[in-house]
Amino acid sequence: MGKKILIVDDEPSIIVPLQFLMEQNGYDTMVAFSGEEAMESILADPPDLILLDIMLPIIDGFEVCQRVRERSELDHVRIIMITAMGSEANIAKGLALGADAYITKPFSNAAVVEKVRELLKQKDETK
Amino acid sequence: MKRSNIFWLFAVASAAFTVLVVASLAFLFWQQLPPTEKDLVARLAHDYIGYIFSAAVFLLAGLGFALDWLFRLYILPLDKLAEETRLIHSVNPSHRIHLEGSRDIVRLVNIINESADQYEYLNSQLNTEIERARADADEEKNILAAVMAELPEGVLICNKDGRILLYNKRARRYLVGEIGSIESSDVSPGRFIGLGRSVFGVIDKHLIVHALDEIARKLKSEDADIASYFVTMGADQRLLRVEAVPLLDHRRQFTGFVLIFRDITRQMESGSRLNVLLRSLGRGTRASLASIRAAIEAIIEYPNMDSGKLQKFKEIIHSETITIGRIIDDATSSHFINLRSYWPLTQMSGRDMLAATARKAEEILGIDILTEAADEDLWLKVDSYSIISALTFLQKQLIEVTGSHRLIYKMAREGRFACFDIIWEGKPVRPETLRKWEEQPVAVDRQALSSTLKEIIEQHAAEIWSHAYKDRQKAYLRLLFPVAESVENGRIRNLTILPKSRPEFFDFDLFSQPGQRPELDQHLLPELTYTVFDTETTGLDPQGGDEILSIGAVRIVNNRILREECFDQLVDPRRRIPEESIRIHGILPEMVTGQPPIEKALPSFLQFSEDTILVAHNAAFDMRMLQLKEELSGVRFSNPVLDTMLLSAVVQPGQKDHDMEGIAARLGISIVGRHTALGDALVTAEIFLKLIPLLKKQGIATLGQARSASRKTYYARLKY
Repeated sequence: MGKKILIVDDEPSIIVPLQFLMEQNGYDTMVAFSGEEAMESILADPPDLILLDIMLPIIDGFEVCQRVRERSELDHVRIIMITAMGSEANIAKGLALGADAYITKPFSNAAVVEKVRELLKQKDETK
Repeated sequence: MKRSNIFWLFAVASAAFTVLVVASLAFLFWQQLPPTEKDLVARLAHDYIGYIFSAAVFLLAGLGFALDWLFRLYILPLDKLAEETRLIHSVNPSHRIHLEGSRDIVRLVNIINESADQYEYLNSQLNTEIERARADADEEKNILAAVMAELPEGVLICNKDGRILLYNKRARRYLVGEIGSIESSDVSPGRFIGLGRSVFGVIDKHLIVHALDEIARKLKSEDADIASYFVTMGADQRLLRVEAVPLLDHRRQFTGFVLIFRDITRQMESGSRLNVLLRSLGRGTRASLASIRAAIEAIIEYPNMDSGKLQKFKEIIHSETITIGRIIDDATSSHFINLRSYWPLTQMSGRDMLAATARKAEEILGIDILTEAADEDLWLKVDSYSIISALTFLQKQLIEVTGSHRLIYKMAREGRFACFDIIWEGKPVRPETLRKWEEQPVAVDRQALSSTLKEIIEQHAAEIWSHAYKDRQKAYLRLLFPVAESVENGRIRNLTILPKSRPEFFDFDLFSQPGQRPELDQHLLPELTYTVFDTETTGLDPQGGDEILSIGAVRIVNNRILREECFDQLVDPRRRIPEESIRIHGILPEMVTGQPPIEKALPSFLQFSEDTILVAHNAAFDMRMLQLKEELSGVRFSNPVLDTMLLSAVVQPGQKDHDMEGIAARLGISIVGRHTALGDALVTAEIFLKLIPLLKKQGIATLGQARSASRKTYYARLKY
């Protein structure tokens, strides 16, 4: 069975290509359009990796990240933060709150796939 | 008691005494007579009783007329002569005495009038000399005043208690808008600026206290730039950047401060538009470009994808290019203004910021702070007042949530950022709790800023979050600030020390002006600050439903009428204005339409008259008018009150006429604008200033003495 990736963004126009990209690379995908939806999905069926946008309404990506990191049973979940803000303070905050990597929009598909592969590989190694 | 009453009491007592003496003598005489002579005398008395009675009546009447003649021709004129002579040499040298009386009195009057002519001549000579000398000084003053007025900055100088000693027009315009009355549409309690007034009426006290604290710290550490900076909202939504600079006397003691104002509204508007533009462009286009790029790369990379998917990706590319176009359109036509996002910041060392934050937390929240040393060369760009208030607010919330009263501060550099950590033992703050705090206006110690925590953090381009340390024993709340890379060494404000002698151009006596406190009664009358006011009303019966139509007032500071600082407000009486009253004050119904009602006007007048003594002519009437509106307006005037009508009766008890025209004529004051509230207030103010030296001659020098003398006068019994 392939690894599960949760894609969280409130913009369908980015979810569709990301989902396609992940599926083409052999991953199973789930999608969520808000922070709340993401939390529900994570708790119901923890993914191996989350592609997490920061700018979400109400519960933002930082908060989702923080809530995931508060639960030890979700320690194995890798988080890549994706944002259009691109400020250094944002990146510092995301990493401090437990994100494993950070990608700024617009990104190259290859870089995302590379980052996902790298993190999931590390995960396998640390098992 | 009036002098004529005393005199007639004396006359009646004398007559009674004479009758008593005559009756006693007659009785003794009667006792010594033998019976036969008694019979004879009784018969004689009986036969001639008419003559005897007539003789007694004529004698008493003659005595009475003689006394009346003496009183009218000698005693009354002497009394008036004394009062009017005092007028000539004290306040009105052109006053001449016109009295009816005995030839001797008339001669005396003529001599005094001749002396008055001489005195007036000498006085005018002296005054001309003084005027000439003063003109030279005035010219210098005017040059300075013109320079002050034309300065591109608002300038305001205060003594150490925050009382205003000097301000220029621009400062007034920035802080209170154009002078005048409150606007009729949206009446809020007005802000007033004026000599001797407290600066805290126009600028939040906490801001100034914060600035003065910072200055004191800089003085102690002998900092090169001695000024403190803050931003405040002025009149008409104007955003002002304020520079506070201390004034030290020759012993380096703090004696006052200068506030310099710059209007940064426009600068902020354009800056913030640019900022918003860049942000929306950046954020929006990045997101859309990401979608387009991801879609195109997928199409290139997977040329064999099914046609449904391909179609979907083409639609994404199409719609996202439209989105980018819209973002650019919106950005270039944007008039969205977010003043908060381009807040001017000044440099502060990390160490100072930790110390100032700790001091405030200990002072306001009563908690123990342990500070771990900050890097020596860590400089931040902050608006110190708002950020320290925000940090205090955060700690207040922290204590409530965590119950921890021991906090540790740590400031360390991480790359281009400075991390300010507040650390405690326990769990981190929940993200949803922190989000709630961020939405709240920052409120500490009964003062609330208009900004929310989130806005203040955005102004500083900072980030905030809470997290646990790895050992899970301790948690921290982190504020991540961009580091200011170099200390700005541009324009810095150096220390101003006053010379030992007094400044030449302005009278800074207000430096030693006492604050307005209950012990006011001990102060000399010329030292105090007054609001002289008058009201025009629909009639003279406050109880019977007559209403205020207009309030006019001027201020007296340091024995000088400040004509520039007046209050002139028409009031909508919400009732008919009687024709007969219109003939007196000339206020027509259409003039009060759209004016504020009394409950809106009075709070503004209360603020205008704050910390002053109220003065009015026939104050009992005006005060009654104000008192009847206490409940409706929620405004109570508890200022001490003086009445020029009563004071005039105190200094000139011999005069019957104490109406405004009578007093003004006697004191040599010309009346202009009678029966407008402001006009009458001005005349009353001039009368009051002339009464002060006359009161002093009667030993009435302090406010307390003036008030108790007023109470004793006959007129004080008038009630409305």
